[in-house]
Amino acid sequence: MSTTSDTERLLRELAPPALGALVRRHRDFEACEDALQEALLAAVAQWPRDGVPDHPHGWLVAVASRRLVDASRSDSARRRREEAVALEPEAEPGAVAAGDDTLTLMLLCCHPALTPASQIALTLRAVGGLTTEQIAAAFLVPEATMAQRISRAKATIRADGIRFALPPPQERDRRLAAVLHVLYLIFNEGYTAQRGDLADEAIRLARLLHRLLPAEDEVSGLLALMLLTNARRDARATADGALVALAEQDRGRWDHAAIAEGVALVGAALPRGPVGPYQLQAAIAAVHCEAPTAEATDWPQVLGLYTLLERVAPGPMVTLNRAVAVGMVHGPSAGLDVLDELDASGALDGHHRLDAVRAHLLELAGDSAAAGAAYERAAARTTSRSEQRYLRDRLSRLRAQAAAPPSPPGA
Amino acid sequence: MKYMLLLYDNPDTRDLFTSEEGKELMAQVETIMAELSESGEMIGGEALAEPPATRTVGLDGVVTDGPLAEAKEYFGGYLMVDVELFERAVEIAQRWPSKPIEVRPLMAGGGTEM
Repeated sequence: MSTTSDTERLLRELAPPALGALVRRHRDFEACEDALQEALLAAVAQWPRDGVPDHPHGWLVAVASRRLVDASRSDSARRRREEAVALEPEAEPGAVAAGDDTLTLMLLCCHPALTPASQIALTLRAVGGLTTEQIAAAFLVPEATMAQRISRAKATIRADGIRFALPPPQERDRRLAAVLHVLYLIFNEGYTAQRGDLADEAIRLARLLHRLLPAEDEVSGLLALMLLTNARRDARATADGALVALAEQDRGRWDHAAIAEGVALVGAALPRGPVGPYQLQAAIAAVHCEAPTAEATDWPQVLGLYTLLERVAPGPMVTLNRAVAVGMVHGPSAGLDVLDELDASGALDGHHRLDAVRAHLLELAGDSAAAGAAYERAAARTTSRSEQRYLRDRLSRLRAQAAAPPSPPGA
Repeated sequence: MKYMLLLYDNPDTRDLFTSEEGKELMAQVETIMAELSESGEMIGGEALAEPPATRTVGLDGVVTDGPLAEAKEYFGGYLMVDVELFERAVEIAQRWPSKPIEVRPLMAGGGTEM
């Protein structure tokens, strides 16, 4: 994504409440979104030249409304004249009204009728204010493909008669969970693909949601998790993109301000009520981030948190991570026992991460031959270039150690 | 997640596709491509020219006419899709009128926290 000018940044903040106001007035989500896009293009062209209007929200809504009304007419010259004329002022929304509309919009974009890919695309577009081109670039798909996803998402909303309104209370929690999941997916994509701007966008949207719902602990938890994870961004890879394991990262390169913020957020949320999975994952990240060195990590606490997470939100990946923690607290054999249980369940059959963790634990246990075989299997199965490189690297290190003469005791 | 569908041909499939009955198969191909575009799953795809129009640069750097291996089956084209699950990519391959097809995930740039 290219750097945005001040106008574009302002417009991205104005877009969601404007879309909300339009949809409440004119109902047709798809047509309103299209009309708003045109109004935003006009603003980008005119505001840097003529200055930001006194009532920017009103300006956008009025211009988009005119587009909607004129949609069936093809006289482009007359449209341009009408725009130049003083527009009907619409009152700037109070903070509460704009917030409600933005929240409604966020929940709408994650409607269950949409696929996760569509939810992501629509959220980045309607709430994030990114262009189709920017979203396509973020996910490395052709612009035409992304345009189709967004257009299909809008058509689904229209076809299903989905109204612009907050979902009923019993549906609300599920929908909020969907929003959190979408934001998490966007963050994860940005973080793992080392696209800092996409990770930053996810954080921006999570902050927005947190401002709108300050009492929702899972929202705080997700924001904390993102901040704590993102804080390690500069240390997790070398200049040429090779991954650096958590235990080997230069902690001086971590963003300690972000860590402090994340720790404060999860610290406030945790004691408040029933703990959800994002809060727990954030708490685990906080334990890692607060350790001054890898050796100082409070692994018993990490293990306790994973055990709790497994109860709250069980899943094979959680168990896998718990196996690592078990290994650190009770020794590699105990960790390997947990992996054997996972194996027996068949949940992670053939998954490279199972072999990667097994390799790590076997290496700690001193079984170089088995560790090497596991690293090799994991490297052949992974679809991540940087993970593959990391795993093959560990394999060669292991082989080099095996070939070298044993070091004297005490070394 | 992006997947590439590697479409293998043999002389019979090529003949079939360009024959009268082939029109029905081409129509099926067009339907599938249209559906994938519609659904936003399509990234791209190309048909490749046949072995006689191919050249190969060998291990030794020597250039020869023809494909890498003299086999009945040759790589004839690809389809690239972006879908949630491996199963979906396989499902698309199963619908394709000619076989065999290799379904391969693309290597992604990123990696999860180690």
